[in-house]
Amino acid sequence: MSAQTFSMPLGPVHVALEEPVYFHLDVDGETIRHVSLTSGHVHRGMEAMATQRNLIQNTTLTERVCSLCSNSHSFTYSMAVENVLGIEIPVRARYLRVLAEEIKRVASHLFNTAIQAHVIGFKSLFMHVMEVREMMQDVKETVYGNRMNLASNCIGGVKCDVSPELLTYIRQQVEKMRPAVAEIRDIYATNSMVLGRTKGIGLLPHDDAVRLGVVGPVARGSGIAHDVRKDSPYAAYMDMDFNVPVYDGCCIHSRTMVRLDEVMESFGIIEQCCTRMPDGPVTAPMRQIHVAEACARSEAPRGEVFYYIRTNGTDMPERLKWRVPSYMNWEALSVMMRDCAVADVALITNSIDPCVSCTER
Amino acid sequence: MAGFLKVLVRNLMQGPSTDPFPLGETFTPQRLRGKVHINPNLCMGCGVCRHSCTAGAIDIRQLEDGTGFKITVWQNACCLCASCRHYCPMGAITIDNNWHSAHAAEEKYDKVEQQIIRYEPCSHCGSLMRPLPLERVRALYANDDSLDPKLLRTLCPKCRQIEDAKRNSCKLPGAPGKSASANDDAATPASAAPTA
Amino acid sequence: MEEQHILHGDAELMNGLSALCAAPGVKLGDASKPEPAQVAAEHHSVDAFGNAYHWYRLVEPGALVPAAHLLKDKGARLCMISPYNVRHMGEMQPEVCYHFELGGVVYNLTAVLDPKRPAVPSITPVFDNADWHEREMMELFKISVEQHPNPRRLFLDEKLDAGILNQAVPLSVMMNGACTTDLWERILAGKGDKA
Repeated sequence: MSAQTFSMPLGPVHVALEEPVYFHLDVDGETIRHVSLTSGHVHRGMEAMATQRNLIQNTTLTERVCSLCSNSHSFTYSMAVENVLGIEIPVRARYLRVLAEEIKRVASHLFNTAIQAHVIGFKSLFMHVMEVREMMQDVKETVYGNRMNLASNCIGGVKCDVSPELLTYIRQQVEKMRPAVAEIRDIYATNSMVLGRTKGIGLLPHDDAVRLGVVGPVARGSGIAHDVRKDSPYAAYMDMDFNVPVYDGCCIHSRTMVRLDEVMESFGIIEQCCTRMPDGPVTAPMRQIHVAEACARSEAPRGEVFYYIRTNGTDMPERLKWRVPSYMNWEALSVMMRDCAVADVALITNSIDPCVSCTER
Repeated sequence: MAGFLKVLVRNLMQGPSTDPFPLGETFTPQRLRGKVHINPNLCMGCGVCRHSCTAGAIDIRQLEDGTGFKITVWQNACCLCASCRHYCPMGAITIDNNWHSAHAAEEKYDKVEQQIIRYEPCSHCGSLMRPLPLERVRALYANDDSLDPKLLRTLCPKCRQIEDAKRNSCKLPGAPGKSASANDDAATPASAAPTA
Repeated sequence: MEEQHILHGDAELMNGLSALCAAPGVKLGDASKPEPAQVAAEHHSVDAFGNAYHWYRLVEPGALVPAAHLLKDKGARLCMISPYNVRHMGEMQPEVCYHFELGGVVYNLTAVLDPKRPAVPSITPVFDNADWHEREMMELFKISVEQHPNPRRLFLDEKLDAGILNQAVPLSVMMNGACTTDLWERILAGKGDKA
C-alpha cells in the first residue's frame, strides 16, 4: 500500500437511503480501486417466519418484505400459490393486480429519481419530484387505503375491488401527472447539474451486466432488453400495449432515463386497465393443498422478483423462498464503483435503486 | 437550468402543497385503513379472522362461565392488512379511517377493540348457542318459503336437524304445522326433542 | 397444471438436461419415500398464463456442473437457488432447487443431497451471480458448497452457527414480533377484563 492508498469504511447507515449496508472501499487518492460490502444488518429470517404461518397469513408477511415494492411481493407470492394449487384467477382480478402494480411502479420510480436529486444536492428538484409523486401517493391512499402497503392481493385474486368512480379518479390523477413527469424527464435529460453527476458515471458494461445476471432498470440501462412483463406475460400484461425502454449508456443517467420512460409507459398501462377492465368476480375459490412445488416471477419496479414454494399438504408452506431484484444488483456495484470518485459512491448506490430489507429478508 | 427555473417559479407561485396539520384539517380519504371494529351483532366467533391474521392481533376465547365468547383485536399489533375484513364470512369486521393512533407507552394495552358476545339458549332444548343474525338466515333460506327464519335461527344445530327430519320425512299428524304458524316455540311437539 | 398443450422451451437444452436426470421411478435415498409426483425425474408445467416451467431431478449433485455449462452455453440466466429440507418420518432430506430462465421459460434443476453430509459443487465459476445464493445456503442450511471461490459469510455473523434454518427458531417470540400467549395475557389484563 502506497501512502496514497488506504482503506475506507462507508456506512452502514445513510449511504444513500436510510438502510444499512457497509462498504469497504480501497481508495487511491480520490479514486476507488476495489469495493467489497458487508450486509446482514436487517436480516429478519423472514423465510423461516413464512414456514410458521399459513398460506393466507403469508400474503401479508410477504407484503412486509419491502415497502417500495410491497405489492410486487404479495402479487408474486399469490401467483406462486396459485401455480402450486392450480387456481386460475378471474379476469377482473388480473386487471386489478396490474393496476395496483403499475401505480406502485410509478411511485417507486419517482421516489428513486427524487432521491437521486437529493444525493446530488439539488434539493429543490428533489422536493419537486416528491411533490409530483405525492399525486400517486394520494391515489394509493384513496383507492387502497394506505400510502405504501396496498393490501390488494390475496390468494385467488384481489381483496380490494375498485369502483368506476375510483377508476375515473385514477385516470384524472394520471392525466395531471403525465405532463408533470414529462417535464421532470426533460429536466433529468438536459439539466447540466444532473448530467454532470450522472452521465458516464457508474458504468456497468453490457457484458458485466449479463455476467452478473442483473435485472430491471439496471439491466435495461446496460442494453439488456429484459422485462418479465414482456418475456413471460402474467396477469393482464399480455393484453397491454407498452414498450420496454432500453438504454445502452450503461451509466447512472441511463438507469434514470429507463425509470422515467417506464413511468410514462406505466401511465399508459394504468389507463388501459381503467378503460378495458371487465366486470366480474375478483376472487377465485381456494383449492385443495397437495404435496407440490411451483415458482412464479414478476417484474417489480427494481426488476424480476422470483418466488418458489413447496407445499406439503398442510396450509403451512414447507418452504417459501424468494429472491428480489436487488440481490444481484448489489454485486454490480463493485463493477460500477471501480475507478470512480469517492464522492460518487452514494449516487452510484442509489442508481441500482437498492433495497436492503428486500435483499436480506 | 432554465427549464427548472420555470418549475421553481411556478411552485413558488402556487404556495405550499402541504396540509396545515395539526392546526388544520388534513387529507383523509374514505377508504383509508385506520382502526378495526367488530360488529357484535354479526360476529359468530368462527375464528377465520384469527386464522388469517399474520400479526396474531386477534384473540377469541370462551368466557370463563361459558356464557359467551370474547373477541379482542389489539390495535398495536394490527398491521391493517384487512385480511380479517376480507375473509370474514359475516361482514362483521370493518375498518374506519381514523388514523389517530398515537398514544403514550403506558396506554398500549388499552388500544384494543373488544366485544363480548353472549350465547343464547336454543328455543327447543335450551343449550347455549350463538344464533345467526336474522338477516343472514333470511338470505340463507330465501329460496324456500316453507321455512321460518325466525324459528330456525333460535334452534341449535341438533334441534334444527331434528326439525328438518320431522319436516321432510315424518309427515305424521301432530308434526309441526306449516312453518308460518310455527312461531310459538312452546307449541312445537316434543316427539323428537332431545332431552336436555 | 396437469395438462399441457404446448411445451415451450429449447428442445436441445431440454434433451441435454433430461440426460442428466435420474431414471424415471427411481427412489432417491433410502429414508426418503417421495410422493409419486416427486419421483418423476422430470415434469413440465404451465401456469394459468401459458408460461412454461420445466422441472428436472438430477441423478446426483455432481451433475450440476455439466448442467450449468449446458445452460450457460445456451445463454440462460440463473434466477435463484432454493435450498430446503423435505421431512420424511422425522428424517430431514436436504434438497436444492436451481432456477434458470431462458427466453421466458423457467428451467428448475433439483439436486438431492446426502442427509449426512449435504454438499453440492459450486456453480459460481459458471454463473457469477450464484455467489450470494451459495453463500446464503452455506450459512442458513449448512450445505457445503465445494470449490466456492469466496466462502465468506453473507448475512449472518461469524459467531452464529451455520445451518440456522435447519432448526425451528421461534424468531417471532424472540423479537416479540407476534402476539404470544404471554403477551395476550398482558393485553387482556391491561383492559381490566370485564368478563
